[in-house]
Amino acid sequence: MPYNIAVLIKQIPDIDQMKTDQNTGEPMTQNLPLRIENLSKNAIEAAVQLKEKNGGKVTGLIFGTDRSNAAMKEAYAMGVDEGFVITGYQDNSPALTAKVLAGKLKGMEHDMVILGNQSADTYTGLLPGMLSSLLGEPLIGNAISVEPADGQVKVTRVLEDHNVILSSKLPAIISVAQEINEPRLPPVLQIMAAGRKPINSEQAGINEESGVKVLSDRAPKSDRKREVYEDPEKGIPEVVKAIKEVIR
Amino acid sequence: MKALVYSDNVSVLQESLTYIRKMMDADGVTEAEGAGDVLNYGAGKIYSLKGDSFYDNISSAIRQIYENGSYDFIFLGSTTLGREIAGSLSASLGLQPMTELISFEPKDGKAVTRRFAHGGKTVVEEESGAKVLTLMPGIADPEPAEGASATEEVQLGDSKLSLVERIEKQATAVNLEKAEVIVCVGRGLGKKEGISEVEPLVKAVKGELAGSRPVCLDYQWLTEDRQVGLSGKKVKPKIYIALGVSGQIQHIAGMRDSKTVIAVNKDKDAPIFEEADYGIVGDLYQIVPKLVQALQS
Ligand SMILES: Cc1cc2nc3c(=O)[nH]c(=O)nc-3n(C[C@H](O)[C@H](O)[C@H](O)COP(=O)(O)OP(=O)(O)OC[C@H]3O[C@@H](n4cnc5c(N)ncnc54)[C@H](O)[C@@H]3O)c2cc1C
Ligand SMILES: Nc1ncnc2c1ncn2[C@@H]1O[C@H](COP(=O)(O)O)[C@@H](O)[C@H]1O
Repeated sequence: MPYNIAVLIKQIPDIDQMKTDQNTGEPMTQNLPLRIENLSKNAIEAAVQLKEKNGGKVTGLIFGTDRSNAAMKEAYAMGVDEGFVITGYQDNSPALTAKVLAGKLKGMEHDMVILGNQSADTYTGLLPGMLSSLLGEPLIGNAISVEPADGQVKVTRVLEDHNVILSSKLPAIISVAQEINEPRLPPVLQIMAAGRKPINSEQAGINEESGVKVLSDRAPKSDRKREVYEDPEKGIPEVVKAIKEVIR
Repeated sequence: MKALVYSDNVSVLQESLTYIRKMMDADGVTEAEGAGDVLNYGAGKIYSLKGDSFYDNISSAIRQIYENGSYDFIFLGSTTLGREIAGSLSASLGLQPMTELISFEPKDGKAVTRRFAHGGKTVVEEESGAKVLTLMPGIADPEPAEGASATEEVQLGDSKLSLVERIEKQATAVNLEKAEVIVCVGRGLGKKEGISEVEPLVKAVKGELAGSRPVCLDYQWLTEDRQVGLSGKKVKPKIYIALGVSGQIQHIAGMRDSKTVIAVNKDKDAPIFEEADYGIVGDLYQIVPKLVQALQS
């Protein structure tokens, strides 16, 4: 049976490339390239795999900025059929993000909403629960397998000390864990085709202050010795000495 | 001031109550199976939830307790379930959330909190009107308090979810949090069989074996209870030896409190060397036997 799937995609600055100031420890965020957030990629891959198996349509939603088209193009190349970029994103306000995305989803037919369980830059992990409240749809979170059939969905969910298989009626919200899949690297031809595909853009209808005041933002101090040896013959004796000081 | 504190994980609830009771009165909430283990952690009352529990009916129960009482804050242990409940509660109650906190302090009705930001590269301190907050596991060492909490049973309502099957995870009797020496392998190990080549080193240093997330979750070369990191165990051994671990920030978050860190990686620019006291650039399969030999002589 074909499914209408909405996938939520977050665009983030490339945190792997981010450095912190040597003296102040503050993050240096200027000129960082933007990319798709890690778990959002797993969410896209999961949605596209479900479509490939059952048929249907995958619609991507980004609550971002006027620089978010690049992320949607990448999502197209991975197999997303249609995309909406909603502008007006503000850092630090998961409540606003949830309201804007829920507003859009309410007006969109969908059997499943797929998103990441926790975004890799902020780790807030609030969106799945918030959306489920705002949309009144059940959430099955931290999924490593998703099997829809006959108006129901069966999901294997990972918890800290055990796993569970849960089921619920559709429509449902499903948040995915990193282990659910290995996101595909689209071939060049698909990337080129994706570049020509139109992207819908609209402005968020809501704008509210987060009320969060940042007092400080710094790298935690690390006072490691950082004695790195490229010649193992020199490094091994040092390492052995350090180990032997602790265990005798 | 008064807080309502929930976790599905008994030790996280013990830690959270220990942490919060120093600042304000607190009541606790947990599933009935664990309720007996949290009665002497300083809560005025422990609500014990009866029935099959899911994020939605737990959220409704907490919401009702919150609305019938007079609480200033709701704290949830930052587990997978805890974060889902935090999202659901903050949206349905219209309360501001703040998650994954490593510290909390009330200040004139506001919350001053600290959490990791930018993928864990920085710690951000914020002041906000947050009322629904999740506390990271390990926020305090659990300490029993004097006196026992009163208890009240709460029957859980219906859920939109149903349980098809519960799958226990394979676990070993390892206690990484208490280990004095840890040898941690990363994806650089390349294959499961590599474990046997690392074991002589584990023996030579009388350590415990641990792994990065891909090693424990994706590839299952080790059991999941041996994962170190943000979403795994937080460890603080005297010696932490990382073999073929790149040192992504989510990994560092779990081993940052180690006393001495030793890293072996074939890439001299691997970020793990920034977090190491001693580093050796090279192939772990060549370095490990040499280390074992040198340790034995
Ligand atoms: C929300 C979230 C939570 C996470 N939680 C955790 C967590 O709790 N724990 C965790 O570990 N990760 C966690 N991660 C994943 C983390 O981002 C990294 O993906 C992971 O730590 C990388 O593991 P690794 O270092 O083993 O693998 P890689 O990053 O692939 O590194 C392998 C390293 O091995 C080196 N290497 C290869 N071959 C050899 C050889 N023969 N000899 C020596 N060196 C070699 C390579 O140079 C490389 O540096 C989390 C991610 C997210 C988004
Ligand atoms: N601004 C956004 N636009 C679209 N999807 C988002 C946005 N922020 C978060 N998400 C989705 O929600 C997931 C969990 O994010 P979070 O709740 O912020 O940790 C992410 O992995 C994304 O799938």
